[in-house]
Amino acid sequence: MNTSVKDTMESTFAGWTETVGNAMLEGEARMSTRNTDVFYGDKQAIFGVDLDIGKNEVLAMIGPSGCGKSTFLRTLNRMNDTIDICKIKGEILLDGENIYDKNMDVVSLRARVGMVFQKPNPFPKSIYDNVAYGPRIHGLVSRRAELDEVVETALRKASIWDEVKDRLDQPATGLSGGQQQRLCIARTIAVSPEVILMDEPCSALDPIATARIEELIAELSENYTIAIVTHSMQQAARVSTRTAYFHLGRLIEVGSTDKIFTAPDHKLTEDYITGRFG
Amino acid sequence: MTSSSLFLLLVLIVAVSYFFGRKRSEVVAQSVGGIRHLHSLPNYYGLMAAVWAGVPGLVILSLWVAFETTVMQGIVFSGLPDHLKTLTGPQVNLFWSEVYNLRSGAISAPSDPALLDAMAHITTLEQQSKIGKAVMVIALSVLGGGIGWSLIRPTQKARNQFEVVLRTLLMLSSMIAIFTTVGILFSVLFESVRFFREVPITEFMFGTKWSPQVAINAEVAGSSGAFGAVPLFVGTLMIASIALIIAVPIGLMTAVYLVEYASRRVRNIIKPLLEVLAGIPTVVYGFFAALTMAPQLKTFFEDVGVNGVSSESALAAGLVMGIMIIPFVSSLADDVINAVPNSLRDGSYGLGATRSETIKQVVFPAALPGIVGGVLLAASRAIGETMIVVMAAGLAANLTANPLEAVTTVTVQIATLLVGDQEFDSAKTLSAFALGLMLFFTTLLLNIVALAVVKRFREQYD
Repeated sequence: MNTSVKDTMESTFAGWTETVGNAMLEGEARMSTRNTDVFYGDKQAIFGVDLDIGKNEVLAMIGPSGCGKSTFLRTLNRMNDTIDICKIKGEILLDGENIYDKNMDVVSLRARVGMVFQKPNPFPKSIYDNVAYGPRIHGLVSRRAELDEVVETALRKASIWDEVKDRLDQPATGLSGGQQQRLCIARTIAVSPEVILMDEPCSALDPIATARIEELIAELSENYTIAIVTHSMQQAARVSTRTAYFHLGRLIEVGSTDKIFTAPDHKLTEDYITGRFG
Repeated sequence: MTSSSLFLLLVLIVAVSYFFGRKRSEVVAQSVGGIRHLHSLPNYYGLMAAVWAGVPGLVILSLWVAFETTVMQGIVFSGLPDHLKTLTGPQVNLFWSEVYNLRSGAISAPSDPALLDAMAHITTLEQQSKIGKAVMVIALSVLGGGIGWSLIRPTQKARNQFEVVLRTLLMLSSMIAIFTTVGILFSVLFESVRFFREVPITEFMFGTKWSPQVAINAEVAGSSGAFGAVPLFVGTLMIASIALIIAVPIGLMTAVYLVEYASRRVRNIIKPLLEVLAGIPTVVYGFFAALTMAPQLKTFFEDVGVNGVSSESALAAGLVMGIMIIPFVSSLADDVINAVPNSLRDGSYGLGATRSETIKQVVFPAALPGIVGGVLLAASRAIGETMIVVMAAGLAANLTANPLEAVTTVTVQIATLLVGDQEFDSAKTLSAFALGLMLFFTTLLLNIVALAVVKRFREQYD
């Protein structure tokens, strides 16, 4: 980052008032955040973000490293609860309910808002047991035959069924990286979430595996709401319908992916997508 | 010159060789245009010169020290008159102690005039050996240092050569543990064989009566001892099982609490306290078991109507031993649970699992091999523990399944058999070696089984 860009940024923040673009949707938001602040101890990581995630849309969150996009994603299903020093202010709504409300059960929340992580993290169990894990702990099925069906459906939706159907009892850790990541997606789908959060799901994968995951995201968007954090702007452009640009903990601009990548309104967004920094 | 001062001299020669080697490499470097044209840094040339100086001298010195007495005594012995050459076994030892006593003045009148000759002979030999040793070692190390020094040239791969030296050194270090184990095994094995010549192995392994008192004199009534080790092994197993039943669940739960639930502050208090528990000498646990736990248990069981409770019981010893090994289980389990990657926990929480579900279904299976290892270590501690059992469970070799009776263990019997002045030729003392051998094989078997279990159930997460 050269001095002139840094100066531009600082002067921009001096006058920073609010997010550019259509951060809030009318009527059909699946999840919304209102004036959300996130703190790690004394350090503030997210500054007053207002953002809606619409039903069946794929929202991409982009921005330079350390801009808070992953932190923001993790607040959406309260994964930050496991970090003691992390504090969250403001409202985050799922279908109109505040997920940080005292009465909200974090266990059922995470079943409704699933998550796929940066590095594939299959459990050290068989492929079948990995997918069956969620349905089992939530008691979604009562008979083995039903469970078999749920597992098969999830694996089919994650387009990995054909590759693993003959070795469901083999350890999941024996799969390739891309297969592991699709298995993790299947595992998430198996509990029928409404929203799937993806935290750089392809960053540990090769281009071919990445392409398969991207195809999968497109298929999944028919049934699920997806929020994806990515470092690859090409990926954001390929898979998402809306894109949000984060910078230093602030949501700078939100808009349809076409618009963000062709005619961004904010200077910082433009600098980032044209590769001036980041 | 004694061997120790010779050793110090050797160290000096090695140090000198290092400095000369280093110096020479710098001089050699001048002629080829500086240190960067040498194959290795000057340090490595110095080290290689030092290795050349030190290793041959040290090898000769240690061989000499190891064998000089045997060789000298052999030479003297072969020069003795015929009637002394026929001496065997203990008589030879007696002969030599008389010779040395004669020299030191402890005895003034020899039992045989030939002893005086032998004394004179060995004294001359010792002086010769001393000189020979000093000359040999110094010559070899100086020669070695010289060779090392003369080998130094810009193309010498001193860096790579020193790597080989280091690798050899490391390999030899790792051998020490193996050789010691083998040595212990053989020493125990030979004595055990002597024992099994007197007592049949079947009686030892399947006999149910243990009473190792053998009369000095065969005419005394009840002179034959009984060497059935079954009561000892049953006692050992019972006490160790009680200890593990206490320690494994409590230790594991402690570890889970510390890793998964406790705040950093609580953890910082509990962990050192657990380490204190691990540091208490077992004798102190022994008091506690004998003076507090055992009487309390007796009172408790008598209050609930169980009679005939012994004041020394397997239960008291097992309970206290269990408390003693909690820190072993918890600290090892703590390490392996900590080592389970957080990404697995995240994956499980992300699917809506609770903490306990995550621990039970994801963390535990992943940590299983390490946990089994910790439990195994605890088990070997429990089997090997002696003090607590001596004090709290007694010495009576009862064959019983009732934990409220006094029992004894293998290690306790080994200790009591060998305490005090003993001659290592009666079945009584030799039986200790047989017990030791059995213990060795038991723990070996335990290890093999545990390794197989770990291999079978291992769930890899990387």
